Amino acid sequence: MKRGPLRALVFALLLSSSAALAERPVIDLSGARVQAYPIAVAKGLGDPQAASTVQTVLSQDFEHSGLFKLLDPASFLAKDGLTKIDYPAWSSVGAQGLVKLSCTAAVTCEFHLYDIGSAREILHGTYSATPAGLRQVAHRFGDDVIHYFTQEPGVLQTRIAYVRSTEVGKQIVVADADGYGPQAITGASINLLPAWTPDGTAIAFTTLRDGSGAHIYSVEVTSQRVRPLVLTGDFSSGPVYSPDGLKFTYSSGVDDNTDIYLAQADGSASRRLTDSRAIDVSATWSPDARRIAFISDRAGTPQVYTMLADGTQVKRLTFQGNYNQEPAWSPKGDLIAFSGRDEKRSFDIYTVNVETGKIARLTQNAGTNEKPAWSPNGRYIVYSSSRSGKRQLWVMNSDGTNQRQLTAEKVGASDPAWGPLGVAR
Amino acid sequence: MSEPSPSHYGSALLAEPRVALTPGVLMAVLLHALVFGGALILPRYFDRAPPLRKPIIARLVALGKPRDPRLLPRAPSAPPPAPPSRSAPAPVAPLAPPAPSSRPSLAYKAPAAPAKPRAPTRSELMQRALAQVKGHAPSDSRDKPDPDRAGEATGSPSGTAESAEAGEKYYTEVHDAIQANYVVPSVISERERLYLSATVVAWIKADGSLLRHELQKKSGNHFFDEALELAVQRTRLPPPPPELARSLRDEGLALSFRP
Repeated sequence: MKRGPLRALVFALLLSSSAALAERPVIDLSGARVQAYPIAVAKGLGDPQAASTVQTVLSQDFEHSGLFKLLDPASFLAKDGLTKIDYPAWSSVGAQGLVKLSCTAAVTCEFHLYDIGSAREILHGTYSATPAGLRQVAHRFGDDVIHYFTQEPGVLQTRIAYVRSTEVGKQIVVADADGYGPQAITGASINLLPAWTPDGTAIAFTTLRDGSGAHIYSVEVTSQRVRPLVLTGDFSSGPVYSPDGLKFTYSSGVDDNTDIYLAQADGSASRRLTDSRAIDVSATWSPDARRIAFISDRAGTPQVYTMLADGTQVKRLTFQGNYNQEPAWSPKGDLIAFSGRDEKRSFDIYTVNVETGKIARLTQNAGTNEKPAWSPNGRYIVYSSSRSGKRQLWVMNSDGTNQRQLTAEKVGASDPAWGPLGVAR
Repeated sequence: MSEPSPSHYGSALLAEPRVALTPGVLMAVLLHALVFGGALILPRYFDRAPPLRKPIIARLVALGKPRDPRLLPRAPSAPPPAPPSRSAPAPVAPLAPPAPSSRPSLAYKAPAAPAKPRAPTRSELMQRALAQVKGHAPSDSRDKPDPDRAGEATGSPSGTAESAEAGEKYYTEVHDAIQANYVVPSVISERERLYLSATVVAWIKADGSLLRHELQKKSGNHFFDEALELAVQRTRLPPPPPELARSLRDEGLALSFRP
């Protein structure tokens, strides 16, 4: 009677000991390929002209986002309505997401986003606009869809400032984030290096307009009113606002020594941040405003350095390449994009990890690529490239994929600066 | 009835357990000896190799020049396209001699430099000539790797790594087969992708087919978890070597995914 439980105990202990010995092998997998999400934008219903415009703009937005694979409308089989969806028919053409829309001539547009796999509506919205604002209606729903999937804000409604080259000079231009509707906001003297205020109402820039060297001015985007910010030094250039918009950094040459300076938003109370006989230029703020990255040739060649926002604790960040320039700190804080000259003397776009110093190359064998600037959600980088002949603006995902041309300026485009989110239009 | 004195209880507690505990202690010692002895001896009677806890994946080193670390990096270039298949693929030669089934070796070194290429056989030469006549042969330029490709002078034209690693052949094949189907949807935000991780356990039959699989540790992101299960389901795994077959069928293989 006593032997039964004892045997069971011994057996259980033996089993557990041998089970502990048999450990399962583990294979680690990383580096997944990222595949675009197949989405269909069905033919718009209601007023044909408004619906067609919105459908076209929305389709382009999805395609350019790099997030979605837009399905060919010619393959669509379903003959359904705005809210009664033939899910099997959409599934059979490979759609995982479906957008249905309807617009009135007035103009009000109703959008619905469906998940084909679970056969349910996952998002809907109704937006009104003037006929001139139809594109913004499409961008707005596009941003809602992107936010739904990524939990990050979309940038379809933002704007990009850049320098347009003309036969007589260079002017500051503002266009939609998809390159549509470029509008000059300065004259065509020599105007360079635009920088948005964080509220998106004004742009600071470097100009030779007053005939006494390069200085820093500001232009209001709506009224196009121009006012001077920094007129001191042998030259002053490259303004960049702090994330709170209360201050800005710039480079200035005083007594043949170029350093980084910090001024209040109105240009007053300027003080020097770096103190080196080398050339220190191109400051960029970390998103938490605690650090500043800049370019210095204090070690012999131009390299990326970081320092605290008060100018202390200067550290060299890049040790590869012999000509790195134009740093831009990612809104997510982890990367700094810059342009660097490789051993073939070609400038390309790179990112460096702020913590590890690891450098990743984003462009290669495609003309000269310079002046990277981040989208405010940190997902894209806009830059200038000569790969299509004249220098134009291009956009890519932050990992270098999905490179596409943004502008088609007659003479050329350069010096992009991506505007902030949430600016009323 | 008078109460028993405290000394009465004390003497009872001291005297009686001394007699009762002795067989219990003996039994416990015996039991422990049995358990530990069994744990040491029994596995020798099972035809099962102790599985590897951490398989190391091998990579062929690319043919190229080692890149000066002071230079800016180049984007990795893909290996040149493989020549068109002329016949059924030959079985891949093992990277190391087969280990004895009783005590298989742990991970072994992958050779940094592949063996000297063997001369083509007469039939291979004939097939190449026929392919050239048919216009199927790859041109010389397609065979040449990117001249700027980083690697080792003694590396392989089809290598995918820039430096040598140690590895194990079967797990490398499993890794590469699943990696080919490891695709995540772009709608997962990059920020979230940084922190996602999940583990799928796959139980594998002797012929390489999937017995079953289970999402052991979820990532918390529906799109990501779904993509992992799809990757495992779509993958056609190679048959495991005999010394691993039983372990992979009974214990399974854990696949730890990070984006």
